[in-house]
Amino acid sequence: MTGKRQAEQRDRRSKPWWMGLALAIMGALWLNGARSISSTTNYIGLGPAAIVLAVGLGLTVLGILLILQALRGEFAAVADEAEAPPSHPAFLLALAGVAVPLLTMRWLGFPLTAMLAFALVTHAFGSRRTGLDLVIGFALGSAAWLGFSRLGISLGGFLPLIG
Amino acid sequence: MDILNQLIGGFAVALQPINLFWAFVGCALGTAVGVLPGIGPALTIALLMPVTAQINPASAFIMFAGILYGALYGGSTTSILLNTPGESGSVMTALEGNRMARSGRGAAALATAAIGSFVAGTIGTLALTFLAPAIAELAFVFGPEDYFALMVLSFTSVAVVMGRSLLRGFTALFFGLALGTIGIDTQTGQTRMVFGMLELLDGVSFTVVLVSLFAIGETLYVASRHASAPPAINPLSGGYWMTRQDWARSWKPWLRGSVIGFPIGALPAGGTEIPTFLSYALERRLTPHPEEFGQGAIEGVAGPEAANNAAAAGILVPLLTLGLPSTATAAVLLAAFQNYGLQPGPLLFATNPDLLWGLIASLYIGNLILLVLNLPLVGIWVRLLLIPRQYIYGGIVVFALVGVWGLSTSWIDLALMCGLGLIGYVARVYDFPVAPALIGLILGPQAEIQLRRALAVSQGDWSVLVGTPISASLLAIAALVLTVPPLLAWRRRRAEEAEAQPASAG
Repeated sequence: MTGKRQAEQRDRRSKPWWMGLALAIMGALWLNGARSISSTTNYIGLGPAAIVLAVGLGLTVLGILLILQALRGEFAAVADEAEAPPSHPAFLLALAGVAVPLLTMRWLGFPLTAMLAFALVTHAFGSRRTGLDLVIGFALGSAAWLGFSRLGISLGGFLPLIG
Repeated sequence: MDILNQLIGGFAVALQPINLFWAFVGCALGTAVGVLPGIGPALTIALLMPVTAQINPASAFIMFAGILYGALYGGSTTSILLNTPGESGSVMTALEGNRMARSGRGAAALATAAIGSFVAGTIGTLALTFLAPAIAELAFVFGPEDYFALMVLSFTSVAVVMGRSLLRGFTALFFGLALGTIGIDTQTGQTRMVFGMLELLDGVSFTVVLVSLFAIGETLYVASRHASAPPAINPLSGGYWMTRQDWARSWKPWLRGSVIGFPIGALPAGGTEIPTFLSYALERRLTPHPEEFGQGAIEGVAGPEAANNAAAAGILVPLLTLGLPSTATAAVLLAAFQNYGLQPGPLLFATNPDLLWGLIASLYIGNLILLVLNLPLVGIWVRLLLIPRQYIYGGIVVFALVGVWGLSTSWIDLALMCGLGLIGYVARVYDFPVAPALIGLILGPQAEIQLRRALAVSQGDWSVLVGTPISASLLAIAALVLTVPPLLAWRRRRAEEAEAQPASAG
């Protein structure tokens, strides 16, 4: 009876085996990378591939251990009672804000990209005043661009499209 | 005597108007990020790293030191008034401090925290002043195998101490070590793990990793769980300044906290959390008013807050003398040194005394500035919390973009930021510690160099690694750090089972 209930509880908990898998794949990548580094034989001691090999091995072992722990149900997310359940739309909006520079940074330049990223992140936090957020984001981005340019740090062209 | 002369020289550097200005900027900035949620000193320093290209190293490190100390002062403010510790080091402060604030004694709690921070910060800095040169002297006899053993000890203790489980700690550590292997091998010039991308030849930038794992990961996490309403601020109204009794009850915890904090902070995996736990437990045991603990005992604020600040000074000891970072903030400081082409360690005391002693002198000055900034002006800092959260995190992302894009305007860096940000989010959700990854990233390549150097000198004989008493004992300690905690846990489990069995039988 109690065993059944425990099993049910364990099922309800997430089993994030994919984390271990990702880590093991990363380990495999590193192991494979170590193979392609030619070990120079005229070098005494350890060659350049040794550490890559060791790290790859470590990652693979840790990945397998993580998978095992996850499948045994011993690896739950931090379940803070106070925390609200994760909201997927908000997460995706924030992620879009982080990813949008990949598309726009080289075309639109830093200030406009900062404006878009800022507005997307504020909307992820529940803001609905799009106009105001865009204005604040643009002001912040321009100020950062001007300030850092004065310090000699290049953030690219102000508006690359215009030139 | 020599130390005093050096220190006076340091004050001559730190008291230059331009450096005083940077110290002030650092302290103000540090207090602000300490108050604001989601940003810590490590992140702030990382984001300011591009700026360092323009100002001289002494000024930059004086500012960074101000940020490091300032964040501790600011963190105690939010712990007391909001019950939201901005940093892990101020969790204990929140326990009693917030109780005091709720019963209208917030001003006294803030005062004992600020003055305690000042006392402990000054004691810690004094200890740093007189200990660091001696340890640096000691480090001259370190050979490559000793350095390697020291780094192994640092790896194991960071992975064991931080985070909830060994597996999580080591996963984070190896992730950082793996990132550290990317780029050109410094000894043979061969490319490693660059996946055909020229941008990766110089390796993955430390700033990108830190900004992504901390700032982006945290933003994604908080955004996806923002439904929980922000906590209400306890007003400072009706607060009384510390009474004579408060002083009498505070000064001993301040001193005890300093004595606990500094040496633990100076250990290879000290950090600032453990000393605060220990100090809280100690004050609870020693207090003549045990009934007040949990209801707002001033000792419970004074002790941990002092321990926290003394530990921050302690962290600088291994960093400045051995180049060994033990927290995320220390790792960023190490990266900043490397940005200037400087390697912290014994040689730095000989080659750049102005920089090092200027930095140490600025710690004394920074503590004074912070006391002035925090005691009368605390009301202003609290107002920072009135900024709506969406603007705080929106701003964090914009400044993260400045930090990452400003490095080399590279698209690959932006892609890395996105990917590592996702990993940072997963780490946050599943409670992986981030600091071991950062320390693995920055210390891994150095450990590799030392290992290969040692093996080259010994013609490939591995026994060289335990060839000196220093390296052998350091490696032995590393092995103990790794094996003792699980063993203790296993024994405790056995004892509990043994106890449970007769109980269930009877």
